[in-house]
Amino acid sequence: MLLIDLQSVYCLNHSSLQSIMRIHYFVFAATACCILLMNLPVKAQVNSGESVPDVTRTIALTNAKIIPSPGQVQERSNVIIRDGLIIAVGPDAAIPFDAFEIPADSLTVYAGFIDGLSHTGIPQPKQQPEQERPDDPANPPDELAGILPYRDVRPLLDPKDKRIASMRESGFTAAHVVPRGRMLPGVGAIILLGGDTPNEMVYQGETALYAQLSGARRMYPGTDMAVIAKLRQLYKESERRHRADRLYREDPTGLERPQYDPVHYAMFPVLEGERPIFFHTDGVLDLHRVLSVQEELGFPAVLTGLSQSFDAIDKLKSADLPLLLTLELPKEPKQNKKEPPADSTETPPTDAPAELPEIMHLDYDPDHRVTSFTDLESEKANLEARRTIAYKTHVGNAAVLESEGLSFGFSTGSASPSDLLTNVRKMIEEGLSENAALAALTTTPAQILGLTSSMGTVEVGKMGNLVVTRGSIFDEEGQVKYVFVDGRKYEIEPPKKTSGSDADAEANPAGTWSLSISSPDGEIAGTLTISGSDDDWSGTLIVDITPETSQLESIAMNGNVLTFSFDAGEFGNITSSLTLDANSINGSFDVPDIGPVSVSGTRTSGPEKSTTVQ
Amino acid sequence: MTDRMRLKTVFFIALLSVAINSAAQELPTGDLLIRNATVLTVTNGTMENTDVLIRDGIIAAVGEQLNAPQDTPVIDATGMYVMPGIIDAHSHIGISNVNESSAPVTAQVSVGDVLNPYSIAIYRALAGGVTASHVMHGSANVIGGQNETIKHRWGLLDPDELRMAGAPRTIKFALGENPTRVHGRGNNKRPASRMGVEYVLRETFAKAERYREAWAQYEEDVKTNPRAIPPAYNSQLEIMADILNGDIMIHCHSYRADEILMLLGVLEDFGIDQITLQHVNEGFKIAPELAEFGATASVFADWWGYKFEVYYSTAYNAAILTRNGVLTSINSDSGELNRHLYHEAAKSQKYGDLTDDEALALITINPAIQLGIGDRIGSIEVGKEGDLAIFDRHPLSIYAINQKTVVDGIVYFDIEEDADDMRLIVDPESTVDTAVIHSHEDTHQCLYEGSLDLYDFLESN
Repeated sequence: MLLIDLQSVYCLNHSSLQSIMRIHYFVFAATACCILLMNLPVKAQVNSGESVPDVTRTIALTNAKIIPSPGQVQERSNVIIRDGLIIAVGPDAAIPFDAFEIPADSLTVYAGFIDGLSHTGIPQPKQQPEQERPDDPANPPDELAGILPYRDVRPLLDPKDKRIASMRESGFTAAHVVPRGRMLPGVGAIILLGGDTPNEMVYQGETALYAQLSGARRMYPGTDMAVIAKLRQLYKESERRHRADRLYREDPTGLERPQYDPVHYAMFPVLEGERPIFFHTDGVLDLHRVLSVQEELGFPAVLTGLSQSFDAIDKLKSADLPLLLTLELPKEPKQNKKEPPADSTETPPTDAPAELPEIMHLDYDPDHRVTSFTDLESEKANLEARRTIAYKTHVGNAAVLESEGLSFGFSTGSASPSDLLTNVRKMIEEGLSENAALAALTTTPAQILGLTSSMGTVEVGKMGNLVVTRGSIFDEEGQVKYVFVDGRKYEIEPPKKTSGSDADAEANPAGTWSLSISSPDGEIAGTLTISGSDDDWSGTLIVDITPETSQLESIAMNGNVLTFSFDAGEFGNITSSLTLDANSINGSFDVPDIGPVSVSGTRTSGPEKSTTVQ
Repeated sequence: MTDRMRLKTVFFIALLSVAINSAAQELPTGDLLIRNATVLTVTNGTMENTDVLIRDGIIAAVGEQLNAPQDTPVIDATGMYVMPGIIDAHSHIGISNVNESSAPVTAQVSVGDVLNPYSIAIYRALAGGVTASHVMHGSANVIGGQNETIKHRWGLLDPDELRMAGAPRTIKFALGENPTRVHGRGNNKRPASRMGVEYVLRETFAKAERYREAWAQYEEDVKTNPRAIPPAYNSQLEIMADILNGDIMIHCHSYRADEILMLLGVLEDFGIDQITLQHVNEGFKIAPELAEFGATASVFADWWGYKFEVYYSTAYNAAILTRNGVLTSINSDSGELNRHLYHEAAKSQKYGDLTDDEALALITINPAIQLGIGDRIGSIEVGKEGDLAIFDRHPLSIYAINQKTVVDGIVYFDIEEDADDMRLIVDPESTVDTAVIHSHEDTHQCLYEGSLDLYDFLESN
């Protein structure tokens, strides 16, 4: 993908001038050709990998199967994009003389996917100074307490954030992004998942205020209940200041001048109904709490996250708020039984949905009773069956929302980009219709985000945001071939196959790993030591901020994913999932009340240090 | 919802109570006829061979050979004992947060905002015959958060359905070692001493008085000047003002006699005449003073010595307080102890020679009165809510085992239906472990709070 945006071409440096001259020459030549060879499509200079700029901003996808919007199909049609906009769609759409044509006979064209909410393009702060302890934990400065409703996400954008490209590879072309943080991290923006500068990426700013029930560390508000109380305080005092400000501006007679402050004043657009709060909920308890405080205070809201919402359907219906469902799914429970070895001759692409093991005949007995110590195996099997049902229930959340008539868009949240399509497919397997899935990726987020005039469908006048796939995007064989963002083409490499016959062999985590933990309070170093083999691992973790050594529990290797948990004292029981790639390791620690904290590391010693684990 | 467990629970509830009202807003209530039991009314003595009829969740009749409509579910309780549902006046079950320990005054927070109907501790409490709990903020702060009185409607998934609607508002205060340790030693803030605790109380009440005055002034001004600007909103002082106005009942964690007398003095100065003292291990020293003030006490039967301020204690505490005219209850403060509060009541009876009714009152009508719900639950009387526990033996017997627990006329616990796995929700990423999981709710967690490492070293209660 060695594209250079035309905008940069217009910068008049020396090489650019040459490029422009080339274009002029090309257009002239093409025009001449057209006169001679009327309807023959122009074979434009293809961007075939070397570092040359795009020569045209007109693109024709020809003879494609087009899904203009969920439920609609146009076979053998063309889509023409010019200057970033779709200018023609249909079987008879003429192919302009200057178009770069992509024969798409075997391809399907969808509207580019829209991520309803995530931190895409906002890198995790790598190094933060040790967070200062406020002088008075009861009354800390707002920015330490995570209360930054005035913070704009746009200056935080980094076009080099890796998530942008990896989201695009899954078909996402635009995202609603918000700052990272705690209770009120800031104000979001719609960005395009392409572009070389933050300004190019921004489609629209000041979209919404982001909120979550996420307390500050070691200061007020620390707990969920305090975050709720703080929100009440902030909201009601903002209402008062808003009124005072309005009265004063109408007529200052007899009034003291209200004093500006960034926090309360940032709430004014919310009070005026101009800016919704996108409120994240992680689990059904969050959902109830957020709905209660929303109903009490009455702010305009969009609910995001919504895991476990299958348990609060009636409340969601009566709340009647826009919904953005996370594409994160719980990890599939590992069954006791060893899964049958995969056929090594047919290596599935890495983003293919994981096979559901044969647990469909869920023999869970809700009345199961054993006398202690007499039949622990049956007890365990029963509990595992229940856990598998729970897993399927969680995956089936989207299907439940659909069947209950609750419309929703998808948000990618902190889901791994490589899981996005896999997880949509899993949801479809659990009963979500393909139309609802596509709507949740395109039209519904466009509606929720107020983007219907420019995004969400393949229609004349919309932005040239497209996903072009080989096979259905919802089929596990389906592959994203091209993604167009604002008319700019991105060719997607087929997912790398895990090489060689070892592909299915489990990676060996044994050894010593030097870890870097991106805690909310800054980077923390740690040392992970794993020993043992196969299903008999043991290990320890030393984190530099404490002298204690944590014993790892429930250590398991599944493919190249290492999972374990450990007791982290004040932080609770942390579960970890780390993906091994040769001698590097990446993943996260799931910290209670804080959420996933990203972790990366390298192997410093161990049996596998020099051997190959692809 | 493919959760068969859930379906089973719902079906089970439906089976035993045909009259469940499925209207979204209203809570389910049941009809139930309990036949031929020994009925321990608590307020009206013991009645042999007696029936209790519940209609729409309310006790409709108590007597012999009662008639009920044909469809009414019937429990044959021949040879069994029916008592009022046990009420735990001090608990931390069914909530996601206990302490907001970042500040010595956190009146504005409420555990009612973080109720957790999925907490298995609620079901375990039901198994011990407990039908209602006063779930409280912890004791890290001098003025902690607001509490919530819940009914154990296991299987209802909306947190609001746990609330005992109409129960008076209450708030947690705490004296002594916990707040001085957390804020004084932990954060180098006031209070660092018992004197500092009194200072924080007086200062906060004084601020609340001024806040109340400022708002009263505004209400007056706005009558003549519609452009008047109200004073700055302060959610903490709103709650403190409600306490001053008598709209919120104080439940104060306290042990030592001297500091309890200090508290009574502060309350007197600010015109507050209602107080329930929680733990109050040295209550026996000042029982007449407590009685004179009208304070009530909620104690442990025989639990002490877990920190310095709790050494001077006695198992006669409940009896001494009772005999001195202090309304007294026995609480659990624990997701373990709450399952055998009837044993705790029996201990107080054994030591202090209380009557059966006095002992049972410690865990029924007395806590109900302390929570302001004595007119609704806590005894078996016509017109009260149908919250009952059915034991195979007299509940003050060491051999007694609870068989069924009824809330609002619905059987929410039945020992016959008590399968191994009664959870309402399962985390698919949880590990399956057949060993006993030690839930944090099983421990005494007045000071439980995940975010301050200091607390790992702290004692509880």
